[in-house]
Amino acid sequence: MRARRLAVEPRGRPSLVSRIVFPLASVIGAGVLGAILLIATGHDPVDAYLEVLRSGFGSDLTIVRTLISATPLILTGVAAAVAFRMKIWNIGAEGQLYLGAIAASGVALAVGESLPTMPAVALSLAAGATAGAVWASLAALPRAYLHTDEVISTLMLNFVALHLMNYLIFGSVSFWRDTERLSFPSGRFIPETAELPEIWLRLHAGIVIAVIVALFVWWVLRFSTWGFGVRVIGDSPATARYAGFGVSRRIVSILAVSGAIAGLAGAVQIAGTSHALQPGGLAVNLGYTGIVIAAVSRLNPLAIVPVSILIAGLTNAGTALQAQGVPNDLLVLLQGLALLLVAAAEFFLANRVRIVTRPLPTLETAEAA
Amino acid sequence: MDGTGGTRIDAGAPEPDHRPNPPFAELRAISKSFLGVVANDAVDLDLRSGEVHALLGENGAGKSTLCSILAGLYRQDSGAIVIDGQIHSFHSPRDALAVGVGMVYQHFRLVDPFTVAENLALGHPDARRRLSATALETQAAALAERYQMPLDPKARIWELSVGEQQRVEIMKLLHRGVRILILDEPTAVLTPQECETLFRAVRAMREDGKVIVFVSHKLREVLDVSDRVTVLRGGRRVGHLATKDADGRGLAAMMVGRSLVLPERTDDADPGQVVLKVEDLQVQGDRGNPAVRRVSLEVRSGETVGVAGVAGNGQRELTETIVGLRTPRSGRVTLNGRDVTRASVVDRITHGLSYIPEDRLHVGVAAGLPLEDNLVLKSYRSRRFSKGPVLSSRAVRAWADELATRFDIRGARGLPIGLLSGGNLQRAIIARELSQRPEVLIAASPTRGLDVGATESVRRVLLDQRSQGTGILLLSEDLDELEALCDRILVIYEGAIVGEVTAGVFDAGRVGLMMAGHAVA
Amino acid sequence: MNETVVVLTIAGAIVAGTPLALAALGEILTERSGVMNLGIEGMMLVGGVFGVVGALASRDPWIGLVVGALAGIALAAVHAALAVGLRVSQIVSGLALVIVGTGLSSFVGKIPEPPLTDRQAVESFHRLFPPTLVDLPAAGPIVFGHDPIVYVTVALVGAASYYLFRTRAGLAVRAVGEDPATADANGIRVALVRLLHTCAGGALAGLGGAYLTIELTGIWQDGITAGYGWIAFAMVSFSGWRPWRALVAAYVFGALVNLSFTLQIIGVNVPSQLLAVLPFLLTIVVLIVISARQASARKLAAPAALAVPYARESR
Repeated sequence: MRARRLAVEPRGRPSLVSRIVFPLASVIGAGVLGAILLIATGHDPVDAYLEVLRSGFGSDLTIVRTLISATPLILTGVAAAVAFRMKIWNIGAEGQLYLGAIAASGVALAVGESLPTMPAVALSLAAGATAGAVWASLAALPRAYLHTDEVISTLMLNFVALHLMNYLIFGSVSFWRDTERLSFPSGRFIPETAELPEIWLRLHAGIVIAVIVALFVWWVLRFSTWGFGVRVIGDSPATARYAGFGVSRRIVSILAVSGAIAGLAGAVQIAGTSHALQPGGLAVNLGYTGIVIAAVSRLNPLAIVPVSILIAGLTNAGTALQAQGVPNDLLVLLQGLALLLVAAAEFFLANRVRIVTRPLPTLETAEAA
Repeated sequence: MDGTGGTRIDAGAPEPDHRPNPPFAELRAISKSFLGVVANDAVDLDLRSGEVHALLGENGAGKSTLCSILAGLYRQDSGAIVIDGQIHSFHSPRDALAVGVGMVYQHFRLVDPFTVAENLALGHPDARRRLSATALETQAAALAERYQMPLDPKARIWELSVGEQQRVEIMKLLHRGVRILILDEPTAVLTPQECETLFRAVRAMREDGKVIVFVSHKLREVLDVSDRVTVLRGGRRVGHLATKDADGRGLAAMMVGRSLVLPERTDDADPGQVVLKVEDLQVQGDRGNPAVRRVSLEVRSGETVGVAGVAGNGQRELTETIVGLRTPRSGRVTLNGRDVTRASVVDRITHGLSYIPEDRLHVGVAAGLPLEDNLVLKSYRSRRFSKGPVLSSRAVRAWADELATRFDIRGARGLPIGLLSGGNLQRAIIARELSQRPEVLIAASPTRGLDVGATESVRRVLLDQRSQGTGILLLSEDLDELEALCDRILVIYEGAIVGEVTAGVFDAGRVGLMMAGHAVA
Repeated sequence: MNETVVVLTIAGAIVAGTPLALAALGEILTERSGVMNLGIEGMMLVGGVFGVVGALASRDPWIGLVVGALAGIALAAVHAALAVGLRVSQIVSGLALVIVGTGLSSFVGKIPEPPLTDRQAVESFHRLFPPTLVDLPAAGPIVFGHDPIVYVTVALVGAASYYLFRTRAGLAVRAVGEDPATADANGIRVALVRLLHTCAGGALAGLGGAYLTIELTGIWQDGITAGYGWIAFAMVSFSGWRPWRALVAAYVFGALVNLSFTLQIIGVNVPSQLLAVLPFLLTIVVLIVISARQASARKLAAPAALAVPYARESR
């Protein structure tokens, strides 16, 4: 008689190849799932995927559109990755982004006229980053010193930020409102001097900022003493404390940094894309998508850049697909399924699963031993 | 003292003509490996009802693994478990319990926030839907009476002493009617007096016809309490015989494969300046209780001061306060004359304090990070490894290579350090702490759970440091170790120092009494 | 102040708080077994849409509730498979399920013709108590005037409380949440317990979502749950993982949600965003206060093994 069972053994350290292959396989798996869903709802998957390539990456204009959409995603992705590396679950990138947008547009409206472009843009971006950091600190301080769960607090702050932003445009006549069109609530446009310059067709400098931030964060995490601390605390806060790291202070600082990057995302959106505080254009789950991207990229800022571009391309293609009758919700659904598959792949990356057959012992064989 | 470990207790010799019954349970040719490391290699074990069967071997010999397989926690790679003539395949501890096999692990399987009665009820076969509190308590009280192990069924586990917790564990199994009771290193956490109580209970169980499998690395206890003994070494069975036919030297030789002498102090200390001074320290515990009550002590350079005591008597809070992880309510800590009572952990490290913590895996190292990161945990900011904010991985790796050679740390370099064996982990921690050239070294239970080879090297290191002039504070439950390494031994009980013994006039019985709180003239 | 306003507010709070209570109760069961399910919002959404669809198709609101609960179980089962079976990060898995739930519910919601956003002729639940009781002053509307689901919810809360704290099975569940290694050593099937309770949580969340759409609003709209799922998640924490406290908290939040109507009636004009923000602000404040009080005792009542995957054959 034979017994077959699954043996699960942890792998010591997955190779570089596996670290790319497994997530890639799950993305392809998601693609296959998507194809099945498309067929089930009466669409041609080949057509659909070709359309994705065309409207996401097919021409200069579409590439520009994709890169513009990818910019905030890269930043929110990096923001999430930074915090998650230390096992601080910052779910609040969404709200930190809104606060960054509010601060950046506010500063731009206030001083944009009287300053040349460089300082005006720099100031509003800095304001955005600071606002994001402060917003994150509202959750960071209780977490560091009172052990308040940061998952819930950052999440709740997202909703507070959303309603705050809506209030500024829809609920009141605030500094941010366009006073010329009071019957149609919308944000006031920032002065042109406070806009990010365009570097290629319509693509603005925000993409450069985003990529630089990603590279810088990657470098810091990998090669700096600060990054070393993140590694140690993320692995074992007790050990870190024993070795003399100021864990509570680090928790605050990493959440602040994460919030700053997310706030920067909001500021870049204002200065580069929308040029005004428009809640409709900002509240499109950029923060949550960033978390998804960070997870898919296994928290590596270098991987976050291409993944963000990919997702941005897919999202933009979604609008074109909608014209073809493929509902956007399907793409959202697919994004979630892809994330699940990638998460599942993580297990197979960390463990080796084999089918083990061994002969079941009988009394005879046992005697003979 | 022949360095074989174990405290001399008068627990009474087994009855002279105690005849074993026919085999009732057998493990045949059990083999098990973890991640390519062989833990058990075709081991046989046969158990007869109404006996106390000792499983002897040094740490790492495979005793716990074998028992975990018998208890259903792990599954063997090959081999058979036969009970009452039937082959059994255990998929979980539940299956083993159903056949009457239960184990009391080294790390207790008790749910801390629950009461004694609730822990007894957990997973009990007499599963009535409702859980009336009074019914549970009466059941618990009845058991306590029958086996003479007094316990308060309403007490929460975290309130109990370690010895009492162990009693709950044993009661749990007896409550379920186990016939094979496995005790994994039960005396590691008991005072000599508590050991006596345990052995009395064990003998009572033997009278009831149960099999008690007694896992230990302490020869003395094995000779005192068991009827038969099986010796494991390197995952293989190297001997099995009736205890009355065995002698200490022979068993030791089987355990270690060579004649065994552990390093110990050979000369008297020549203590110099006071390097560590603790004055009138009062520290609050986690539950608001006073954990350290007016403790004062001194360590001079070149001397090793031991602190003997059962775990849970304030040692952890004391060390945490000295090291800087806890703030005292009152009192002072001075390092080389410098008041560090309110200083940070980093400050104390810079001023020559090193600490080998009790919990190797969760405090001593960052288990998921590789060896090289762990070796620079405290020193990464020095100019050798970092220029400004940049950490040089090349310098770190070179340092790791050097330390690994010097301290004989074995194990794949790039892998998470948590995968290394206990001995290598400890060597890594020691390497790191000593490379700081400390003036004061605090070591908490440094050889717990280590095999003889590792124990040897740790002892040697501590003795070397002592002769080089480091002041060492050694906290341990192992009286043999304390006697072998220390110049003076303090005894701690319920947060206070209750006595001091100088090495030359060491009396284990007396120290044991002090550890248990009995005032000694 | 008009007495009727107070009565109506309380009665309204109970009804509005019921979906919250259901979802929170489900998450309490899940977290007591040691699993953290961030995907409640997604499960409420699919429960909502499938609930309406089921009720319309069968012309029976009870069937709608069942269908909604089943939808919740389906999503929860995926979370359990990943979190318990593959030991995936529970935060990632939960978030992914919110995304899946959002997309799926929007997608399904657009299928039926005529669109679900128009108020449907969904049969309401019949009131449970006779009109004579309902017409009693004060106590009438508050205690007797509700649909059966309100009472079912209270009953479920009571049952869950009894189950967790007074039965052997409940003891086993709590042991799994506090110390899975110990539970395992005692012969309890950790994975099975976690799977069952995660699914139970999903069922209750789906039920809550279905109740929301069938009874409270009568329509389906994208994102109709408006963050309810997240509030339910937060409520679990500050009710100390105890069902009765969660029920009370749910009713308090129900009152907050209804506040806008109440204020309109008494003529106070407050911007809608401020009212919308109150539940979330309150959650944060309460959480911080609780943490502050317990910081000294360092006992945060959370099941010790929450969100920590359990693997038996680890060294």
